[in-house]
Amino acid sequence: MICPRCAYEGVDTLACSPVPEAWEVLRCGRCLYAWRTTEPARRTSREHYPEEFRLTQDDLDRAPEVPAVPPVRR
Amino acid sequence: MAHDDLRSFLDELDRNRQLLRVTEEVAPEPDLAAAANAACRIGPNAPALHFDNVTGFTRARIALNVHGSWANHAIALGLPPETSVKDQVQEFIRRWEEAPVEPERRADPPWTRNTVTGDDVDLYAVLPLFRLNDGDGGHYLDKAAVVSRDPEAPDDFGRQNVGTYRMQVKGRNRLGLQPVPMHDIAVHLRKAEERGEDLPVAIALGNDPVITIVAGTPLGYEQSEYRLAGALRGAPAPIASAPLTGLDVPWGSEVILEGVVEGRTREFEGPFGEFTGHYSGGRRMPVIRVERISHRDDPIFEALYLGMPWTEIDYLIGPATCVPLQQQLRAEFPEVRAVNAMYTHGLLAIISTAKRYGGFARAVGTRAMTTPHGLGYCKVVIMVDEDVDPFDLPQVMWALSTKVNPASDLVDLPAMSVLELDPGSEPPGITDKLIIDATTPVPPDVRGSYGRPVTDLPETSQWIARLTSMLARGDS
Ligand SMILES: [Zn+2]
Repeated sequence: MICPRCAYEGVDTLACSPVPEAWEVLRCGRCLYAWRTTEPARRTSREHYPEEFRLTQDDLDRAPEVPAVPPVRR
Repeated sequence: MAHDDLRSFLDELDRNRQLLRVTEEVAPEPDLAAAANAACRIGPNAPALHFDNVTGFTRARIALNVHGSWANHAIALGLPPETSVKDQVQEFIRRWEEAPVEPERRADPPWTRNTVTGDDVDLYAVLPLFRLNDGDGGHYLDKAAVVSRDPEAPDDFGRQNVGTYRMQVKGRNRLGLQPVPMHDIAVHLRKAEERGEDLPVAIALGNDPVITIVAGTPLGYEQSEYRLAGALRGAPAPIASAPLTGLDVPWGSEVILEGVVEGRTREFEGPFGEFTGHYSGGRRMPVIRVERISHRDDPIFEALYLGMPWTEIDYLIGPATCVPLQQQLRAEFPEVRAVNAMYTHGLLAIISTAKRYGGFARAVGTRAMTTPHGLGYCKVVIMVDEDVDPFDLPQVMWALSTKVNPASDLVDLPAMSVLELDPGSEPPGITDKLIIDATTPVPPDVRGSYGRPVTDLPETSQWIARLTSMLARGDS
């Protein structure tokens, strides 16, 4: 399993359905994208994930800080 | 009639046939969001939706579109469901003037019945989370009231803030937070971070309908949302102390989360489909660590769908956005008659005013841009005459089509401040702002040929009453 959004291979399980085996919620360890395994392919598979929402390591590195962390005043 | 919690309000909606219970099994995605999206599209009197049979869940109960129509907004304020939008806004203003009404501390909040702390905290075990829009980075809390205090004045009740901010669920005990710089929690966080501290927060989910309205109302920094809620309810707002942080939270909430915004931490967040009808995100934003969850038995999870307007959020924050703008303008310019700032949270506003002299209306439009809310909104302000109802869009279109000469009625102010989420701003947060003066020129402004307006006949109002009563009697 790779992240549909950034193709990272480190994916962990956030939650399992209360009804056994119905679904799991997975999360990417890099871009924090979270998805339920029963969602449509456009949200769960790298192949079908829309181009305009895909992310690269470079996108993550360049993301602006909002709000900026202010200087410490003692 | 005041509702003390979400449950009693849902019952009230049910009595008014404004709640649709979906009992057939639905998928968490895409059904829940698609149904709420659809409710916004079926007309201005759509019902709230309640789901209790969602695939994979055993006890999930989910309420959507609770504020998502004019009828529901009216019932939330205890008004008849058919009350017109303009009358709802005027009644909102009348009650606002009764504020402050001190809240009531009430014992034994029902959310003390179940508690989870420390390593046992698991948001997914308590909340039936689901995705709204395709490009959303994850599951969001988008209808919660977030409570925080000013770290420099922790005992000042008025400076305690109750606001709605989007929060991305990033882990079992971890949330991303978007504090808009113009909003009070951003001030609290900056002060905490300057002191090298975390900022304690309490997050109230599933609230009585007026708490949700005031949490989305742009108040002054020292004005208390709970004191306004009391005025709008016509009864003191019931509150209680959250057990871990001591913050004041609604007595009747379904779920209370407590923890801290981690000082000086930023982490990738989003994107999220926003009220602007566009996604925003892909920024590094603050993070909340949840340390305690308190909840009622079988809590109801409330969320709202948002996207291309109109959606529930427009009904929820539309009237509440008009009121402070109208109040602040009338404090200095009693000529102002009404403000309709319901479009994209007031990015566009329509203001009707009488004129003192030529140039007055555009001056009022400029003032709207320098109110606290206007600093981040009011990108386009349309000024209309006192006899034009800003809530009646055909009348506004008439004013635009006949009273405007672009040669001198467009006032463009370059490089003004706006919220970063405005997709037209460039760079984000900076935009030109425009006043369209669609009022009739008055001396010494003598432009145009407006000397002979056609007005309704003096006898028309009698005939309106006569025809209306004939129609009511069913005369043919
Ligand atoms: Zn990823």
